Amino acid sequence: MNLLRTEWLKIKKYIAFWLVIITTALSYPGVSWIFRQGYKNLGQRKDGGAQVLKMLLGDPFSLPEAWHTLAYSSSLFVFIPAVVIIMFISNEYSYKTHRQNIIDGWSRDQFMLAKMLNVMVVSLMVTLLYTLVTLIIGLTNGPNANPNLNKWSQSYYIGLFALQTFSQLSIAFFIGFLVKKAFLSLGIFLFYFLILENVLVGLGTYYKISGYKYLPIEISDRMIPPPAFWGRIDKDNYLKELSEINSHVIYTIILTAFIWLLCFGINKKRDL
Amino acid sequence: MDSVLSLNNITKFYGKIRALNDVSFEVPQGSVFGILGPNGSGKTTLLSIILDVLKANNGNYLWFGHPGSPSQRKKIGSLLETPNFYHYLSGINNLKITQSISGRGTAKDIDDVLKKVRLFERRKSRFSSFSLGMKQRLAIAAALLGDPEVLVLDEPTNGLDPVGIAEIRQLIIELRNSGHTIVMASHLLDEVEKVCTHAAILRTGELLTTGEVEEILIDDDVVELSAPDLNAVANLLQQLNENVVIDNKLNVVHITFPKGTARLDEINSFCFRNGITLNHLVLRKKRLEARFFELTNN
Repeated sequence: MNLLRTEWLKIKKYIAFWLVIITTALSYPGVSWIFRQGYKNLGQRKDGGAQVLKMLLGDPFSLPEAWHTLAYSSSLFVFIPAVVIIMFISNEYSYKTHRQNIIDGWSRDQFMLAKMLNVMVVSLMVTLLYTLVTLIIGLTNGPNANPNLNKWSQSYYIGLFALQTFSQLSIAFFIGFLVKKAFLSLGIFLFYFLILENVLVGLGTYYKISGYKYLPIEISDRMIPPPAFWGRIDKDNYLKELSEINSHVIYTIILTAFIWLLCFGINKKRDL
Repeated sequence: MDSVLSLNNITKFYGKIRALNDVSFEVPQGSVFGILGPNGSGKTTLLSIILDVLKANNGNYLWFGHPGSPSQRKKIGSLLETPNFYHYLSGINNLKITQSISGRGTAKDIDDVLKKVRLFERRKSRFSSFSLGMKQRLAIAAALLGDPEVLVLDEPTNGLDPVGIAEIRQLIIELRNSGHTIVMASHLLDEVEKVCTHAAILRTGELLTTGEVEEILIDDDVVELSAPDLNAVANLLQQLNENVVIDNKLNVVHITFPKGTARLDEINSFCFRNGITLNHLVLRKKRLEARFFELTNN
């Protein structure tokens, strides 16, 4: 509790933190709302193409399908809370407070644990936001075409989304922890998250090299495959991706645990 | 006297550069222990090691007879190198973090230390808006929070104006008089000479000497004397000792004897027997500055 209390003292009057949190809080529902409006507009069109497309998409914004659809769309925006995570750790280095915290009486493990708790809390906040947005959109979107479906049947995506967010924010933290400089860390993370890994995944898919599935971000991305309508376009591949979710949960846990073990180990040994 | 801190054969390398070599000494309880040395001598490296910011390559240290630990550091008020605070927080909010981590002091104590370092009026201003001297005073306030028995201060008067320096010096003397133990690194010899009871002198990572300041200061006995005819008295004294120097600026003669061997009464009667009446005769301690330059070959 003392670790969380101290971390709270560090952030509660940190304006930049709250600005990014507000941006996240606006962007997640905003993006989900835009997707949902697009879908709604499609439903109102009477032309044949729109009707075919609507048939193909099904009910992606009705519960329970919304849990999956919005987990997928929300996960594309992890880079926004990643800014906060990188700021948290690089601030400690630029102000040299990572040393002061130790001098004042934290152990090196306590310092790292406090940072891990930060990443967990931000992951929980983002997951809570996703859950609320999904509930609101799902409940206001009207019932699913199939009334027998349980609204909560796909709510396990909450857990998958939380794990994916924690894993990817841990990668952002790891870059900030190693690089120490805020702008450089952000640049590296955004370049990797938005460009490099997508290029590598694209190349892997094109040349059928399965190794791309084990790239750091892709490992956890594969816990939340594209929404169900994808299955109507490429059923075999969609079913294969669904069947791989469990193994990617295990890979994600292993990768995330490895990242944190590395952070704890390096922090314990290196000069501050 | 019990030791608050024992250093045993501390060695530290930065790559191939040896920053500290086999440094050992003890800090007695209740002492003000000055660590002296020119830039790059290893003072801050040494303090960083005893505060677990740096890892020694060899050797160990004991606080109160036990290996260093977070619970011990919580009881020690420390200021290392530069004031390290969250720039976007106010002075008072930064001290709340110090209080939360160390468990030292209360909300009232935070106000008290801010008043002690004359920052109470600016307690709600952001740290980034502070001048260098104010930042240093906030760091001293953080070290003083909860009135710890032991303080580690690295260049505590850095960035302070003359009034601030005098205030901190007075504060250290008050802390010393109330039984606190203070380990202080400084390159300000005058500061160390005025407030320290013990000292260690470092040069390029080597410990040159350590002990009570009085012991370090008095290496030779320097007798200072004067008479109407300086040349006559100098010639006469050369019969007693070859180390006689005339200081024309001060209008005195200095004669150096091995430590503890100068006899002022014998010098006075020897001069008188030889027809010279002295008008000034005193045993001078070598100033720490001179001793420091001698030891560090500067």
